[in-house]
Amino acid sequence: MRPLNTSTANQSRVGSHTDAVLGFLLTFPILVTMVSLVFYPLLVTMWDSLHRVKPTKPGTPFIGLENYAAIFNDGATLSAWTNTAIYVVIAVIAETSFGIVAALLLNKIKRGRRWLLAIVILPWALPGVVNSVMWLWIFNPAAGLLNGALTSFGFDFTNHLWFTGRVSSIAMVSVVHVWRMMPLTIVIILAALQSIPQELYDASRMDGARPVHSFFYVTLPLIRSAIAIAMTQSTVQAFNLFEEAWVLNGTSHDTRPILGQIYLETFQNLNFSYGMALSLMVTLLSLIVSLSFVMRVYRDTRLD
Amino acid sequence: MISHHIGLTLTLFTSLTLAMPVAALADDAKPLAGQSITVILPSPQAETLAADFEKVSGVKVDLQTMSWDDIRPKLVTSLIANTAPADVTEVDWSWTGQFGAANWYEPLEGQIDQATVDDIAPSSIFRANGHLIGVPYTNDFRVMIINRKQFTDAGVTGTPKTLDELVTAAKAIKAKGITQYPIGLPLSASEGASTAWYLLTKAFGGELFDKDLKPLFVSPDSAGYKAMAFELQLLKDGLVDPAAVSLKDSEINETMFAQGTTSIMIGGEPGRLGQFADPAKSKIVGQFEAILVPTLDGKTRSFGLPEALGIPASSEHKEAALAFVKWMTSHDYQIKNFDAGFLPTRTSALNDLNKTGRLTSGDTLVGQAPTVGALFDGGTPPWYPEFSSAVNTNLNSAAKGQITLDVAMANIAAETEKAMKQ
Repeated sequence: MRPLNTSTANQSRVGSHTDAVLGFLLTFPILVTMVSLVFYPLLVTMWDSLHRVKPTKPGTPFIGLENYAAIFNDGATLSAWTNTAIYVVIAVIAETSFGIVAALLLNKIKRGRRWLLAIVILPWALPGVVNSVMWLWIFNPAAGLLNGALTSFGFDFTNHLWFTGRVSSIAMVSVVHVWRMMPLTIVIILAALQSIPQELYDASRMDGARPVHSFFYVTLPLIRSAIAIAMTQSTVQAFNLFEEAWVLNGTSHDTRPILGQIYLETFQNLNFSYGMALSLMVTLLSLIVSLSFVMRVYRDTRLD
Repeated sequence: MISHHIGLTLTLFTSLTLAMPVAALADDAKPLAGQSITVILPSPQAETLAADFEKVSGVKVDLQTMSWDDIRPKLVTSLIANTAPADVTEVDWSWTGQFGAANWYEPLEGQIDQATVDDIAPSSIFRANGHLIGVPYTNDFRVMIINRKQFTDAGVTGTPKTLDELVTAAKAIKAKGITQYPIGLPLSASEGASTAWYLLTKAFGGELFDKDLKPLFVSPDSAGYKAMAFELQLLKDGLVDPAAVSLKDSEINETMFAQGTTSIMIGGEPGRLGQFADPAKSKIVGQFEAILVPTLDGKTRSFGLPEALGIPASSEHKEAALAFVKWMTSHDYQIKNFDAGFLPTRTSALNDLNKTGRLTSGDTLVGQAPTVGALFDGGTPPWYPEFSSAVNTNLNSAAKGQITLDVAMANIAAETEKAMKQ
């Protein structure tokens, strides 16, 4: 028995060793890719952000956390942070709530759903600049569709300007962003909805549950993970909002997002290290907010 | 057999000897033949640009064209890494200070002959730290463009020479209902809004900065202050479309002036004249003309915004690149390149074109050209982009009524001084 046991143990060790090698070989390409294209540039960026990298000035002296401290003393940057925070809140709430409603409606449709889905996903498939230019024309005060439609309904919106005040400007930029990104939320949640077994709804109905009860006690818990993923991508995309604000309202402080500020600091003002510090802050904040969604769902859905 | 070989060898030798001067002549004419260079320029360029240079020099050109807005990020990302984005690149007048301070471009003084520099007046705009970093290849300065038919329909027969006459004409056009908003003026947070204010500052007889680069526009008596007050008054009087707060200059040119819905382009671009004359893009063919910039005292002034060709210091084909720069800025090629929509930078080429009658509003352009000055006497400073951004964002806020004119001016000065210190 012993030799047999030893042999089995050896085989098991060999097998696990082979599995480990195979696992390493399979993950090696992504490891190399991540290290060379993500972690190494990230470390270099972090190191450079502690220096003054401004080609119009000689040298790149070590300045410690000066770039990070400057963020809190720069009015334009703080204004851009505020705008981005507003975009994130609006985008996450609007995309998630409207996305769930749209996904539920699409889930009810049995015939022609794939065609409808193809149409719904179109705004997400189009480049951001194309979307924004299209909306620029919709918002045009004289010839725009929006003013024309509102005027035809009897409201006085002749030559109405949508980008004169900060509130309406941010609202319009947010509308365009939500319109572009919501299809992705719809697709994620629709996929989750379609994976829920019909038997669960049948059982809940037999237990006397109304549709609203089924939604809150069957549907919602089972699509919670999908909602977390959708909220995470909404957060990341809202932190990355750029084209909509840039095309619709230029560099105006009213709508300038933090990515617009990074672009101006880096490529217009050539303050590379300051731009790097801002980029790292955006990455960190985006990660923290996204992780909070994922961790919350993980805590609520773990089985142990 | 041996004699046959000798005879053949002699024949070949003789043939080669006779052919050598011809080959040497060809090499002298095209000493750089066989080399290749890359060139980055804004689109569109003349279709035969690369082929034309290859024909005369034997140098193969890999021409990359892209939208003007995309060029700067591409150049900057390459240059910061000490690699050449191309052997010859676009250099805008507004980049001169930054690119010069960073020593990113090859000094061209001494490599371009003095007669060329003298003939190309805007060359001085591309001097940074005493070095010439670009040779202007396309001219751009500001004139005003009016819809003469709408002027005539409103009973305005003369050409405005002063700002008061300009406003009077605009009011007459509006009063007759010919156009609701007769003056096209960008007030959005964009570069075009800044350049219109620079022009009006010149028109009010002043400068933006003194010799020590101290802002001159904060005092209510200054030309810059009066110019911005003038812009806000035009908006308040209903002579400028309220939508201008979110419109770029290109949008006003294309969707308003070219469509006949506005009558006066403040900050008119000579390069647009061809577009306005194209029936496919314009409804005002035969109705428009460029006029000398009206000013407070009637003595016209303007400023230049030319674009140049520069050679990155990290280029590995500087000799061939220099040959391309010389060729593209030559008198003959500038005349030819006019057909592709590029106004010559050489005074001699501009005059020759006007003599042939090929320049639209040629007399105005030739008349305005000598009045074109630089915005900054010592060359465009490295902090120009921050200054321009401060101008257009604060002008935009003032036009929206979010801040007062005094606050706007104080903000511009404060943001500029901060940029100077960085």
